[in-house]
Amino acid sequence: MFDFGQFMPPLIRGALLTIFLCVVSGALGTLIGLIFGIARSAPLAVVRWLAAIYTNFIRGIPILIILLFMYFALPLMFPAATFDRGVTAIVGLSVYSGAYMAEIFRGSIEAIPRGQLEAAEALGMHYLLKMRYVVMPQALKIAVPPAIGFLIALVKASSLVSVIGFTDLTRAGRIITSQNHLPLVTFVIVAALYFIISYPISLFGRWYERRLA
Amino acid sequence: MTFYFGDILPYLPVMLEALWVSIYVTLGSFFLGSVLGVFVYLGRDSSAKPLRVLAGGFIEVFRNTPLLVQLYLIYFGLPEIGINLNPLWSALLGMTLNNAAYTAEIFRAGIQSVPDGLREAASALGMRFSQTFRYIVLKPAVRNVLPSLTNQFIVLFLFSSVGSVISLNELTATLQDLNQQTLRTLEVFTFGAGLYYLTSAAIAWSSRLAERTLFRW
Repeated sequence: MFDFGQFMPPLIRGALLTIFLCVVSGALGTLIGLIFGIARSAPLAVVRWLAAIYTNFIRGIPILIILLFMYFALPLMFPAATFDRGVTAIVGLSVYSGAYMAEIFRGSIEAIPRGQLEAAEALGMHYLLKMRYVVMPQALKIAVPPAIGFLIALVKASSLVSVIGFTDLTRAGRIITSQNHLPLVTFVIVAALYFIISYPISLFGRWYERRLA
Repeated sequence: MTFYFGDILPYLPVMLEALWVSIYVTLGSFFLGSVLGVFVYLGRDSSAKPLRVLAGGFIEVFRNTPLLVQLYLIYFGLPEIGINLNPLWSALLGMTLNNAAYTAEIFRAGIQSVPDGLREAASALGMRFSQTFRYIVLKPAVRNVLPSLTNQFIVLFLFSSVGSVISLNELTATLQDLNQQTLRTLEVFTFGAGLYYLTSAAIAWSSRLAERTLFRW
């Protein structure tokens, strides 16, 4: 039998760490994404290329490879970048979300009709003013539904930090199965906890999209 | 910090072989999962309520839990009730079910994107449901789902790396082995990331080419 009294507390702790990880790296990723997403429409070509390289490369490799690279290889490149597992997990997930969020912001910036930009220019607004008062207020609204979709993907991708030894919900489940030898029921509970984290976000996204339409 | 690829170059064939494992697991589960996805979609949109609930539940469960946990359930959990699958079959099963949940939603969005007016016009012309589907809905729907399907295929390919955790010897698992064997950590993971990137870029590129040539209807 699954001993709820003994095993639920570590699972709940793992779930809270998963939530913490996603909130922090989601916020940092949004910030990175905002910078690189805006950089994709920068007046300077070099800036646009650099931003494009970052977004396209990161989106072309698995999050697991990013995490393994951060954990094993980065400290060799920069000895100063020897972090503990929690920081490695946050940095890895933030770099990952940054690329996807940048793509989302780029898309919503490009969705703003050209005519509005031309109108802003005709009014004598320079690049920064145009972004601040014409483009971004509208683009941010468009970006919300796909950003929520990515947040759900991030919750699920965060399970891979267990591979580099961070005790999130998934690793808590792994540790427990090595003690109680009941993988089926343990992982059903782990999956249920992920569902409890992720499903409300899905519902919120659907509600927001309906309200927007 | 110096890069020296000399030590890992002899392992190139090993890495390419492992990349091929990643690709065929992805191809297999994408194909099977897309076929299953059609049925899940049909269930989701059927007029029978139990079917709708069942298909909807399947979609929500698989879309709101991590693939890693799904694979753990299959690889470590199923033996508890007497079903023993090796890493390859576990990964195939898990990725197929996972992919079915995503493709079902893609197909639904694709069909819904065809304007109702077309369907109404077809029925006004006296076309049966099957004729309407075959001659009116199918072509624009396929064209509409193509970009999302490509995207899903690339995501599935990238997440095939999760198979390494249940000891499937695909690219990521092989990279971790090589890292321990050669201790060329930086080079191994840089090269591996490059292989993943090139493959997913090639998939994206060939899909865009197919959209422009094969599916120009």
